[in-house]
Amino acid sequence: MAIITVPRVVPSPAEDAAALLKAFQGWGTDEQAVISILAHRDATQRKQIALEYEHKYSESLIQRLQSELSGDFERAVYHWMFDPAERQAVMANAATECIQEEYPVIVEVACTNSSAELVAVKKAYHALYRRSLEEDVAARATGNLRSLLLALVSTYRYDGDDNVDMELARSEAKIVHEAVRRAAAAGGHEELIRVVGTRSKAQLRATFGCFKDEHRGSVTKALPRGDDPTGCPRALRTAVRCVADPSKYFAKVLRNATRESAGTDEDSLTRVVVMHAEKDDMGAICAAFQKRASCTLEQAIAQETSGDYRSFLLALLGS
Amino acid sequence: MQQFLTQTGSNSSAATSPPASPQPRLRQQQAPRKERDPQNKEKEAPPAAMADEHQDLTRAFAGLGGLGVDETALVSALGRWRRQPEKRAQFRRGFLGFFSASAGAVAGIERCEDEYLLHLKAEFARFKDAAVLWAMHPWERDARWAHHVLHKAHPPQVLVEVACTRAADDLLGARRAYQALYHRSLEEDVAYRVRDANASLLVGLVSAYRYEGACVSEDLATEEAKALAAAVRSAPAAATKLVQNEQVVRVLATRSKPQLRATFRVYMELHGKPLEEDLAAEPCLREAVKCLDSPPKYFSEVISRAFSDDADRQAKAALTRVLVSRADTDMEDIKDAYARQYGAKLADAVAKNTHGHYKDALLAIIGK
Repeated sequence: MAIITVPRVVPSPAEDAAALLKAFQGWGTDEQAVISILAHRDATQRKQIALEYEHKYSESLIQRLQSELSGDFERAVYHWMFDPAERQAVMANAATECIQEEYPVIVEVACTNSSAELVAVKKAYHALYRRSLEEDVAARATGNLRSLLLALVSTYRYDGDDNVDMELARSEAKIVHEAVRRAAAAGGHEELIRVVGTRSKAQLRATFGCFKDEHRGSVTKALPRGDDPTGCPRALRTAVRCVADPSKYFAKVLRNATRESAGTDEDSLTRVVVMHAEKDDMGAICAAFQKRASCTLEQAIAQETSGDYRSFLLALLGS
Repeated sequence: MQQFLTQTGSNSSAATSPPASPQPRLRQQQAPRKERDPQNKEKEAPPAAMADEHQDLTRAFAGLGGLGVDETALVSALGRWRRQPEKRAQFRRGFLGFFSASAGAVAGIERCEDEYLLHLKAEFARFKDAAVLWAMHPWERDARWAHHVLHKAHPPQVLVEVACTRAADDLLGARRAYQALYHRSLEEDVAYRVRDANASLLVGLVSAYRYEGACVSEDLATEEAKALAAAVRSAPAAATKLVQNEQVVRVLATRSKPQLRATFRVYMELHGKPLEEDLAAEPCLREAVKCLDSPPKYFSEVISRAFSDDADRQAKAALTRVLVSRADTDMEDIKDAYARQYGAKLADAVAKNTHGHYKDALLAIIGK
């Protein structure tokens, strides 16, 4: 269930567009009005509002929002205005710009979407940037990280879970174990990338399960920690986590983003909340968050953020 | 089969070369009648008419030279010698290479050679294959051909062809069809089953979802043409083969086709020769570049290879594959490319080299 709340009787796009214009007019912006409208409309409705706004007032709604709002609030609303596929394309593109730091975003996009959703993201990327996502990832990353990212992004995984081969899972768990053990050596990497980059998610989960049975520890724990400059082990760990249990992974990202000690990581917080507020898994993510943290996600956000940014996130989460 | 036919045409018992493929050659069979007489010395010398009949029958039954079976000739052959089993026996004895009296001597029969049976089966099946493939959804066709490469050891060239000449959404459709048919993804199977140097190239090509717009950057084309040239130059001394070179695979597997064509053009301008020439040592790589650069030219070459004398089974099957799969897309361009390259109309070449219903089917597919 998408977590955002849409009013039972939705005003028409024209009414919403007019209300938004009113919020922009005069001194300053009525941020509460913007939030009360946009945070409670789904993707189709937001698109209609944007079209209506442009048609009536001859300017792009998104550009007006960008000029009227600022800071983390503006970034959150900007990303929220897109539909899910475009949004991930925009986030992925931003990540390719500084790929050595932001590659986890690309891994997330590649591994937590279904095959059909990933294709939609790639199509949106074509339309927005007139290049393919694979091109940009391949051109900007290097070495083993490039091979891994390219494999993850290009794949069109089999989505079914009816063809899990336990023999194969056992043999590939061995391969993964060998490759992880020889982490730094070349060659082992190719097989690891082959397995993680092409097998269906159901098959991979079976493989990870066999790994755990065989070696009494999960794959993620076996991967080398510490600062590998290529980023490949961390990317692999992210990929494994995203495939094994996406909700747990995102809950962890949120935990790290709202940790009291380290300061708030608004980018990650925005990314996860805005991305998942209208997907089916937000409920699971909130539950996973609450299990690990001692509070609900809303409480953590209320504590760690402030102002319109906080109001917007909380509105998305339906409180 | 080559040697079998030369035996019918001459007295040479030395069959020095093993049959390259079970494809008999029409030219050999049309040796003058005189040459065939030595075979029949043991029996009464058949009159000229009989030898003629033999020749017609032999031609009809062997499905000779070229592709497909002359059904009309076969039907008229079947209508002869009603209630004349001795004449059929004579025919069998004279049709050496397809029937062997020595092999069947124990049972007192002229036994049918297994290779001949396989050969006939393949020739008869051509029309069926053309019809079935024509009716199938293009994505299912491509998925099945890909599966044959991986599971029936068909040449990897087919995989390269499917991956590089289809539009982005059609390749994606083929991958979906592959999943529906075989419950695994195409790249999974390619990565798992292809273990030679071509693996990374093939996985890359097959996984591509290229941008389809016309937007091309000349700077990028120049940069990547130089990168390709550097890779080619360093290949002989490098630890891995050119087909495994990361830069090469990256460029070929991710860039849009218009961008790649610009890159190939710049390469030609910089080095005075096309990239394919420098890839002679890596057939998969060369095929990929050809397919990406100009599918009609590539396809006309494949078609021409199917007609050549030493075409093997796969080369001949390629004729059906190419014509059926391109009938709705760039058939006109292929006809132009063929005419330019070989100086003959495609329809004429097909009519000359194929027989029977198979020929009619192909001509219908090619169109006017």
